[in-house]
Amino acid sequence: MSDLSSKDSSLDNLLRRDPRAEWIARNRLHPLHNEMLQIGGVEVRGPSGLLRKNPHVIGFIGPNGIKRIDRTNTSSASLGDKKRSSATKETQLPLHIVENPDFYIMVVADMVGGRLTGHDKDILGLAHQLVAKRNGAVTLVCFGDNKETQCDLAGVDRLVHLQGEIYEGFAPEARLNALLQIEAQYKPDYWLFPDSVHGGMDLACRLSARLGERLAAQAWQVNAEHTVCRGASASQDILRDTPRILTLLEECGDAIDESRHQVLPMAIDGIEQTTPAMVDKGLIAVDSNAVPLAEAEFILSAGNGIHNWDQFHAAAAALGATEGASRVAVDDGFMPRARQVGASGTWVTARVYLAVGISGAIQHMQGIGQCDKVVAINTDAGCDMVKRADLAVIADSEDVLAELIQLAQHYSLSKGQEEKSDAA
Amino acid sequence: MTLDWLPPTLIGVLLVLAVIGAVRRINLWRAGQAEKVDILAGLMAMPKRYLHDLHHVVERDKYMSRTHVATGGGFVLAMALTILVHLFGVESHILAWALLAALVMMFCGAIFVYKRRLNPPSRLSKGPWMRLPKSLLTFSITFFVLTLPAAGLPIVGMLPEGTGGWILTLVLSALILVSLSEMLFGMTWGGPMKHAFAGALHLAFHRRPERFGGGRSTGLKPVDFGDGVTIKEVYGVAKPTDFKWNQLLGFDACVQCGRCEAVCPAFAAGQPLNPKKLIQDMVVGLAGGTDEKYAGSPYPNVEVGHAKGAPNQIITDGLVNPDTLWSCTTCRACVEECPMMIEHVDAIVDMRRFLTLEKGETPNKGAQVLENIIATDNPNGYSPASRTHWAADQNLKVMKDVKQADVLFWVSDGAFDMRSQRILRSFVKLLKAANVDVAILGDEERDCGDVARRLGDDATFQSLAKRNLATLSKYRFNTIVTTDPHAFHCLRNEYGDFGSDALKDVEVLHHTTFLNRLIKEGRFHLSPLAGSKVTYHDPCYLGRYNGEYEAPRELLASLGIDVAEMERSRFRSRCCGGGGGAPITDIPGERRIADMRMEDVTSTGADMVAVGCQQCTAMLEGVVEPRPVVKDIAEILAGQLIEETH
Amino acid sequence: MQPNINVVSLVSIGRHPQSGRARRAEQDGRAVELGLTLAGQSLTVVHAGNAKEPVLRQYAGMGLPSLTVLEQSEGCDALPVLMSFLQDKSVDVVLTGVRAEGGESSGMLPYLLAEKLGWPLVPRVAEVLEIKNGEAEVLLALPRGQRRAVTVKLPFIASVDNAAQEARQTAFGPGLRADFKVLNGDSVVDEAASQWQISVAKPRPKRIKVVKAKTAADRMKAATAKPVGGGGKVLRNESSTEKAQAIFDLLIEEKVIR
Ligand SMILES: Cc1cc2nc3c(=O)[nH]c(=O)nc-3n(C[C@H](O)[C@H](O)[C@H](O)COP(=O)(O)OP(=O)(O)OC[C@H]3O[C@@H](n4cnc5c(N)ncnc54)[C@H](O)[C@@H]3O)c2cc1C
Ligand code: SF4
Ligand code: SF4
Repeated sequence: MSDLSSKDSSLDNLLRRDPRAEWIARNRLHPLHNEMLQIGGVEVRGPSGLLRKNPHVIGFIGPNGIKRIDRTNTSSASLGDKKRSSATKETQLPLHIVENPDFYIMVVADMVGGRLTGHDKDILGLAHQLVAKRNGAVTLVCFGDNKETQCDLAGVDRLVHLQGEIYEGFAPEARLNALLQIEAQYKPDYWLFPDSVHGGMDLACRLSARLGERLAAQAWQVNAEHTVCRGASASQDILRDTPRILTLLEECGDAIDESRHQVLPMAIDGIEQTTPAMVDKGLIAVDSNAVPLAEAEFILSAGNGIHNWDQFHAAAAALGATEGASRVAVDDGFMPRARQVGASGTWVTARVYLAVGISGAIQHMQGIGQCDKVVAINTDAGCDMVKRADLAVIADSEDVLAELIQLAQHYSLSKGQEEKSDAA
Repeated sequence: MTLDWLPPTLIGVLLVLAVIGAVRRINLWRAGQAEKVDILAGLMAMPKRYLHDLHHVVERDKYMSRTHVATGGGFVLAMALTILVHLFGVESHILAWALLAALVMMFCGAIFVYKRRLNPPSRLSKGPWMRLPKSLLTFSITFFVLTLPAAGLPIVGMLPEGTGGWILTLVLSALILVSLSEMLFGMTWGGPMKHAFAGALHLAFHRRPERFGGGRSTGLKPVDFGDGVTIKEVYGVAKPTDFKWNQLLGFDACVQCGRCEAVCPAFAAGQPLNPKKLIQDMVVGLAGGTDEKYAGSPYPNVEVGHAKGAPNQIITDGLVNPDTLWSCTTCRACVEECPMMIEHVDAIVDMRRFLTLEKGETPNKGAQVLENIIATDNPNGYSPASRTHWAADQNLKVMKDVKQADVLFWVSDGAFDMRSQRILRSFVKLLKAANVDVAILGDEERDCGDVARRLGDDATFQSLAKRNLATLSKYRFNTIVTTDPHAFHCLRNEYGDFGSDALKDVEVLHHTTFLNRLIKEGRFHLSPLAGSKVTYHDPCYLGRYNGEYEAPRELLASLGIDVAEMERSRFRSRCCGGGGGAPITDIPGERRIADMRMEDVTSTGADMVAVGCQQCTAMLEGVVEPRPVVKDIAEILAGQLIEETH
Repeated sequence: MQPNINVVSLVSIGRHPQSGRARRAEQDGRAVELGLTLAGQSLTVVHAGNAKEPVLRQYAGMGLPSLTVLEQSEGCDALPVLMSFLQDKSVDVVLTGVRAEGGESSGMLPYLLAEKLGWPLVPRVAEVLEIKNGEAEVLLALPRGQRRAVTVKLPFIASVDNAAQEARQTAFGPGLRADFKVLNGDSVVDEAASQWQISVAKPRPKRIKVVKAKTAADRMKAATAKPVGGGGKVLRNESSTEKAQAIFDLLIEEKVIR
């Protein structure tokens, strides 16, 4: 995570001693003694740590062979003490420039919420591997809103940004027409798509079917000659020649992180649009609690340790979580059967499973085996749920839920304000 | 004017009507499917079966057993003699005196029946059954009076000539009509006395004659899938006539004594099942009609009077709700308790077979579990290649490598479950301490098919059984031991139906039996367990299904444990709720069966309950804490093992 | 059920993720389920491949009176036979899974059919709400249980998502009794695919969070930093506010709070 290295920058400003250099400086018989003093400053720390001046090395030999003393002390780098400043962090990464590219690689990104996803970035990275130092341009093709501010850092040499109502929402036909125009205009070497549920796979298949070119699906190792794809429910690797259209799995390549890119917009000539056969009627408002448990990504689950049910429901609403329950909560009639998680209920796949007052019986655990992060609120530090949890809080459920409700309310308030000021 | 002809005529007419009724009834049974029965041998064996086997069951209720011998025996004798004396007019004082004696006996019995009916327990049906003691009394008194002259005793106070005698005869005739209607006409036309007629024949033509004479017959009968070319019209029982004829006969034998109801865990938990009502619904089905006249306890929370059925109508369309069938844990408590030796579990599974094999309506997780079993040979859909992971550090021999061993350890699907693995490891520890030459099948083992079969999927069960048998037949071993009573039951009692000799001369044992032998042979030594009050829960599939009640208790005794027995133990043990796929179909009730069982445990004051089954362990541990500790006997023993230092 | 709608569900042989054994494919099962709700018993279910495959009985066991098999040998391209089958019929809706569980699993089949037939393709359908006046209103499955409504003109092809109604249980008896209509499909061998080298999937190492550190201090920090979210962290003595904050931070970090 990049934020790790940038946090706590005070470390970088520390004065650092280089014991080896100091030792060489002290040891006049050392073969590197002179060089060290040459580049070194005047002040050297002695064995006791005291600062010492070496009068012999004051000054340096100038270009005309005459010894010069530099009183401003600016030309010599310090020897023993390397002072690093966080300023180096802000140095601009080198700009990767592509002029008059010989070829293009099109990356049609998902841009979920108008921003590049991690998946998209991996593919941009892979695209650069495919460019392989030749004079090719990695081109990002994106539709609709583009809120991404760091296209340059993600490796976008060229940008095709297609905006307009026809591309909004669910518009695979309009988008395909645009891709066809790009194809006609630029004849890209590769078409790369994320193999994703966000539309990447769908669009790739449409392009492949229309162009009559077989794509490689679920590719995860790609070079100019060969591609390895997952097949048969990810149980097989298929090694095949690399085609021109690929849908790629996550982590198929390493995202760009050491260069900046030009992000030059590219023009697309008149795109022929037809009346689409499919018409988007918009998103259906799905209340988080109406989401089927098995599909829910955030579940707030209640067990025998919940005593204030109104508060529990309020917490789920405030956090925007889908409600789940242990069997005991269901048996006792506090929750409907359809909300039971576990062996005899639903097996859930949530990203976060927040278990409140659930002891973690084996039958319950079976149901949450596929959850990414489990959080437990429980009074019993020894219970199995706490052992399983990535984060466990030993406390009374009512207290913690009350705090969580508050936090959630503050958060949405401040977010609401932010959005207002954004709009303003 | 003399009316002397009236009583014999009445008797004769009612007898004829009874015979007509009997033929009709028999035809109702014969509408069922053919089943091979040795008619003659059955009829010959009937009296012994009545006196021995049936009474063995009735005996559990001493009051009722004596009452029944007096009433029933008295009636049968009296009826036979009545026919001789009154119908055929055999003039013999001895016969008449015998008849009087029989009637007195019957009268005494009937008094007790009457007394019980004054304040009947809830398990007994009311309705016509309330009138039965009165009919019995009437019968005995009427015929007593009627017989007095034949015995040479003029009726007390002398028969007044003329109108007096005339009136008396009329009165007696009316009473004959009333009581004999109940006793004869009712017997074959569906009155309470039907139980005697059908019951007697059921004893003669029982579908599991092995049960008589102290035998045990608990394996389910396989569905006949034929040769795989001809496809039957229906698999399982859809309509009453899809039952075997002697199953129908069995239903008719029910006396509505409600003993099954009293022991049924599902009924007690408020799930919509009452075995007595279920059998009565089967009677409604086989005879046609509704359950309006049913006068016993209903299925919990289901109103009586709305069930309709007919011999050729699908049972689950209006007669019995599928939830009723899916509530059963197949614990066999009802069968064990039924004086008429009715086979409730067979009937329930037969009907489940239709729901699963024909309709694809196994409720809740049922469909998924079956699909998993089919695709992975285990109910939870784990990778078959991970079956032996639990034993990675156990250093167990695998049959594939060694080909033969003295003992084959059948691991069961507990291999995939972390809790059950603790039991498996404990058992292996004991085996090693005793130096047993043991091997496992490893990844070649498959689910034994128990769950699939009880959920009605006999196709999958049979496929698993055949494949398991094929695997077993590749290796040589003398004994199979398993920690899972369900697998134990399948291997021991059900795999025999599939024409394989893989298990010929092989002894199939439960681990408690096997460990008990090892201890007796002094193969390992245990330190006594002190400071715990322990009770023991008899798993249904070990106890009632296989009759093993002693070995677990002896094992506990060998640790110096004096088992604090629960009120319901041994053959009356209450199910943990885990059998028959019930946790999978999970039909809602008012309580959890496991909670009730845990109350049984707690009421002994025990702080630990020993079990011999991983499923019981899971069910009882599913009860919310605080509660006594649940441990398999193997775990308790392994904890007390004195490890020899060599 | 919609009257007079001609629905075809295409089914393939699935693969159980754990055992690798053949099974009724998850999504194809749902395609049949959806087909049954749309067309009832008049649903046509088609498989291109081997008619002897026992798994087909599992589809039939969903209560299909018959099942059509376009007989083909292994390794053949299903597209041409399906094309000619569909062209001959006046079909309104074709339902398929999103992606096969065996073989290449590219998910291309419905797209190629749609392209050849010139029909629209609706991807990842969760539900068909209504079919009326030659137009269908369908719900598409989006991640996180979200849905999008889309209308489409008949005829169309839809791929059915895992979010659609689960396939009903398959019953043994009806499965046995279903009538298999076996038609001869011509066999075009999939040449390109026969060139591929297929091996058991190699495990893909989970990407470790590489920190391209420029200095030793960065590297040290990267190596010792606790994974974010604090794996297995237990908070005992903090105040309720702090505990709640820790949970809330995790929720935000996991992006489940919006
Ligand atoms: C066959 C079978 C199938 C089953 N299937 C399922 C299933 O699908 N799903 C399922 O959930 N269970 C299932 N169970 C039941 C399971 O075994 C447990 O009984 C159940 O999960 C326990 O629920 P619980 O954790 O809510 O209750 P408990 O075990 O009573 O746990 C309550 C927890 O709340 C904590 N607590 C109490 N008060 C507070 C408080 N004020 N603040 C915070 N914490 C508090 C306690 O420390 C304890 O850890 C099944 C059991 C069986 C036998
Ligand atoms: S087997 Fe057990 S659960 Fe089933 S009906 Fe009989 S007593 Fe009830
Ligand atoms: S089935 Fe048996 S136990 Fe139950 S009521 Fe009838 S006779 Fe009694």
